[in-house]
Amino acid sequence: MQPNRFFRAVVFIMVLAGVLWIPTAAGAPQAPPSSPAPAAFGDFAQRVQQYVNLRNAVVPRLRTTKQSKEIVDRRQALAQNIREMRQNAKPGDIFTPEISEEFRRMIRSTFQGANARNVRRTIRQGEPVAGWKLTVNGDYPEDLPLTTVPPTLLLCLPQLPSKVAYRIIGHYFVLQDTEARLVIDFIPGAIP
Amino acid sequence: MNIRHMRHLTFLLVVLLSRQIPSLQAQDITLPVKPGSVRFAAIGDMGTGEPAQYEIAQRMQQFHQKFPFTFVIMLGDNIYGGKSPSKLMKKFEIPYKPLLDAGVHFYATLGNHDDTNERFYKLFNMNGQQYYSFKKDNVHFLSLDTNYLDPQQVTWIAKELANAPTGWKICFFHHPLYSSGAFHGSSTELRVVLEPLFVKNGVQVVFAGHEHVYERIKPQKGIHYFTEGASGQLRAGNLKKTDLTAVGYDKDHSFLLVEISGDDLYFQAVSRTGVTIDSGTIRRPVETIP
Repeated sequence: MQPNRFFRAVVFIMVLAGVLWIPTAAGAPQAPPSSPAPAAFGDFAQRVQQYVNLRNAVVPRLRTTKQSKEIVDRRQALAQNIREMRQNAKPGDIFTPEISEEFRRMIRSTFQGANARNVRRTIRQGEPVAGWKLTVNGDYPEDLPLTTVPPTLLLCLPQLPSKVAYRIIGHYFVLQDTEARLVIDFIPGAIP
Repeated sequence: MNIRHMRHLTFLLVVLLSRQIPSLQAQDITLPVKPGSVRFAAIGDMGTGEPAQYEIAQRMQQFHQKFPFTFVIMLGDNIYGGKSPSKLMKKFEIPYKPLLDAGVHFYATLGNHDDTNERFYKLFNMNGQQYYSFKKDNVHFLSLDTNYLDPQQVTWIAKELANAPTGWKICFFHHPLYSSGAFHGSSTELRVVLEPLFVKNGVQVVFAGHEHVYERIKPQKGIHYFTEGASGQLRAGNLKKTDLTAVGYDKDHSFLLVEISGDDLYFQAVSRTGVTIDSGTIRRPVETIP
């Protein structure tokens, strides 16, 4: 883990420890157990970093612009470049069976912990999703509203580099390139 | 000017001619309009491109003549559906053109219907960031991304609030921590993370959208919460009767005007037809030095 990210993780855990100590009416989430991260998460982090290195090589830096067409063109060009570089990408390239199993375990525990009711409610507050077919390298659907990813779940999962995010679509757990609006990989049936 | 521009302008003219907006009366402004005050508007869930959004925008323009707010905070769902240039024009640039031309700045936060790439759109003043802060006089604003409250963002929020100078601390984001709306309701998972940070660091006011109504919540742990999610969308009749509500309005579209002068925050919620649906004053508590 890079020093900067390690420092941020330490600061976050210190902040959250202070936050969780204050009792709230809604019930504070439990702090994660202090067990070592699964080995599969290390493999996952490496695969994600490989993806990020690949996409960073083909993305032009975008400054803010008043021309919305520039933003759209860049996104489309970025997505196209990534697809060309990942022509043979398939489900499981990043979420391997071992990594998927570890993610499923973490997700299940979040849905069973002390804050489970809030977590389920957060996901169900998302607007209904039906009939979407996910494909690796496919576009994240433009008019599909985001489901809030529960902070408690994000706390348990490996932190991601910027420009990559976890998403929830129905029962799918998705890894998304947020600038290209691309599906990088996904785990079907991971969300109860 | 191409055919597409002509179509949009024609649409705007049709809206203007078909629904005559009554002229503004001086007594319609309840805000004091004090010299040197911080003045802004708050709108949420507005990016539909439908007539109601245009009517709200026109009403805002009318009120701007008597209450010249200098910026607008956008509470998410800024652009529904596709994000093509023509859609952005129809759902933002055209309805708010008079305000933009008058130099009013718009500060956006991301809603669940938004694209994270909206942060690169200069007129949203997000500086390419999913979450950011800015200062106006003695008011420190934080715009948060509650679609994705990851550890990095939580760390940033804690540091920003801890380091903010004394004065007003206002957070705005899409998902309300407290809500009497039947469709979404309170975002309790976000609340357990954000509320302690807000309480610990003296946040006084929070604005959110997402619920397509207007609601002012009774102060919770000393923090005043507003939901303004009816500036384009509307879920009529969606407010349940709960003990949370100070004032709720779900019969028509609305927007919020806010003025901050010294330790006083004045607010006025206005409906699409120009009726004041809520107004009042919030006094900032004196900060005690530990």
